[in-house]
Amino acid sequence: MASGNHRGTGIFRRSISRRLSPEFKEELDGLPGVANLKRVGERPRIGNYLADLWDRRLFIYVGARGEASTSHSRDRLGLLWLIIRPLLDAVFYYVIFALLLKVDRGMDNFIAWLLVGLFMFQFTQRSMTAGVTLIRSSKSMIRAFAFPRASLAFANVTRELLLAVPSFVTMLLLIALIPPHAWPTGLMFLMVPMLAVQLLLNLGLVLFLARLGAMLPDFARLMSFIQRVLFYGSGVIIPITRFDMPQWVEAVITSNPLFVMLEMYRSILVYGEAPPAGDWLHFLAWAVGAFLVGFVVFWWAEESYGRE
Amino acid sequence: MNKNNIGVQRGSSKNFIEVAAQSQPPELEREAWSLAGEPKVTLAAEDVRLRYTIYADSPGRSFIRGRRKRQSVPAVRGVSLIVREGEMVGLVGLNGSGKSSLLRVLAGSEPATSGYVFASSQPQLLGVSAALVPDLSGLDNIWLGTLAMGMDPDQAHDAKDKIIELADIGHAIRQPMRTYSSGMAARLRFAISVAAQPEILMIDEALATGDAAFHKRSEDAMHELLDRSGTVFLVSHAAKTIEDLCTRAIWLHKGAVVADGPATEVARLYRFFAHALANDNKEGADKALLRARDEHPPTTFQSRGSTR
Repeated sequence: MASGNHRGTGIFRRSISRRLSPEFKEELDGLPGVANLKRVGERPRIGNYLADLWDRRLFIYVGARGEASTSHSRDRLGLLWLIIRPLLDAVFYYVIFALLLKVDRGMDNFIAWLLVGLFMFQFTQRSMTAGVTLIRSSKSMIRAFAFPRASLAFANVTRELLLAVPSFVTMLLLIALIPPHAWPTGLMFLMVPMLAVQLLLNLGLVLFLARLGAMLPDFARLMSFIQRVLFYGSGVIIPITRFDMPQWVEAVITSNPLFVMLEMYRSILVYGEAPPAGDWLHFLAWAVGAFLVGFVVFWWAEESYGRE
Repeated sequence: MNKNNIGVQRGSSKNFIEVAAQSQPPELEREAWSLAGEPKVTLAAEDVRLRYTIYADSPGRSFIRGRRKRQSVPAVRGVSLIVREGEMVGLVGLNGSGKSSLLRVLAGSEPATSGYVFASSQPQLLGVSAALVPDLSGLDNIWLGTLAMGMDPDQAHDAKDKIIELADIGHAIRQPMRTYSSGMAARLRFAISVAAQPEILMIDEALATGDAAFHKRSEDAMHELLDRSGTVFLVSHAAKTIEDLCTRAIWLHKGAVVADGPATEVARLYRFFAHALANDNKEGADKALLRARDEHPPTTFQSRGSTR
């Protein structure tokens, strides 16, 4: 039977057709509805995928808000933990590094420097932690509905943003109130573009780590180690560049996007200076790169995330 | 066991669906059927295979000594089928015969190791799992689920009341889904899945935990779906349910299709089979299986299947 009139439609599309047996094609050829059949579980083209994601923007937001509102619902103190935990961290690090080890010698506002570093680093760190287990922790949604799985990553960073807002406010209040006060300046508005770029970086990291964690569950075990390396390598609590070190180590540290990011936040919030254009470019390039790589890496295995 | 039945005499008293789906009717006859408004093909699968990679104890492994061996286990071994609108297909088979695996491949949630599945639209799979987002209330889960299926806010809003009515779980709808009994969760998930009016609905034991009242409601909802020229797949351990509800039954044994025909006959033979096995009547079981295979041979499109 001639299948010429179907070529180019449905399952008789050339790329699929040549992988099917002639008997199967012959059996289907001419049956009603065959031209409308589409491959199930096929990775969509990246353009269609993006369009699908855009269609689910409300789903992403509702999912993020729902998770944010219930993330501490089983704790007595509820969302207060969003402020309590980083404060405890800050007090602890202040005691160790400023009072005991005195790494703050020669710095005029170590507390503000420490607080900004800690709070802004933790924003990215939390996304990374959730990213590795993203697919596993969303299993029931993935099983129940067919939606572009990357929406989970978008929802994840949105949730972290919603949860981080109270801690950002706390941070700004603290550095203004604790002497020597770092009062807000006109440069504060630079927080907005900074946060936008950081979100893009977080999204790239979550997408990348989600794929990695789904393929290789062992990676979740490695995550706390990687985060510790990043923590010290980004100068969150120790003004790392004041130490003597081999040139290549310094090169690695200063090209680390999180190190650059923290320097920029501190420059804006603690020292009231606009970060140099070179830092902006450096940070933006990393964020865009991370997003593009993460997105493609995640999309590449789109059809496999439902696997048991 | 010979999986392939090419050459076996085909039964003569079949309705048009079977004739069109699994034999090679003369061309003229096929044309005649399409003139008479032959039902459209909604799902077609060719030689679908699925293997799981697992780590299993090697034989003779004691608690302390011995290695766990990595091995690949076949779950679905070459299933081909064509399904049309208005059909309600029941899958029967013993535990571990590959019913759920097959359904997950057909729905696209598990990528097949080889073979292709085509469908007229994305199948909606309803599996056995407890809550969707456990910490969110039933209402929030409805909102999230309808958006996940791709509804726009207006559609989701309109669907909400219908879902609440169909689920009929009273005030529990405002409580977190983690507090639900398995029956209540199944009701809610079924109601959400049906709300999108999927063309193809696949139900994997999800109704087993419902009570009698819910069975009636879910049956009505499924028939409504069939009347809208949809297709329903149903996996159930109770072959009686399949016999009563379905138009067609597919009997899976060790990952391959043994028989594919009218539900009243195939499911009944399966019941004989299961009953005989339960009574240690190996002979009777074999007889029922062979009879089902001879009377309702499965769809096969190629002869190469038998050599693998």
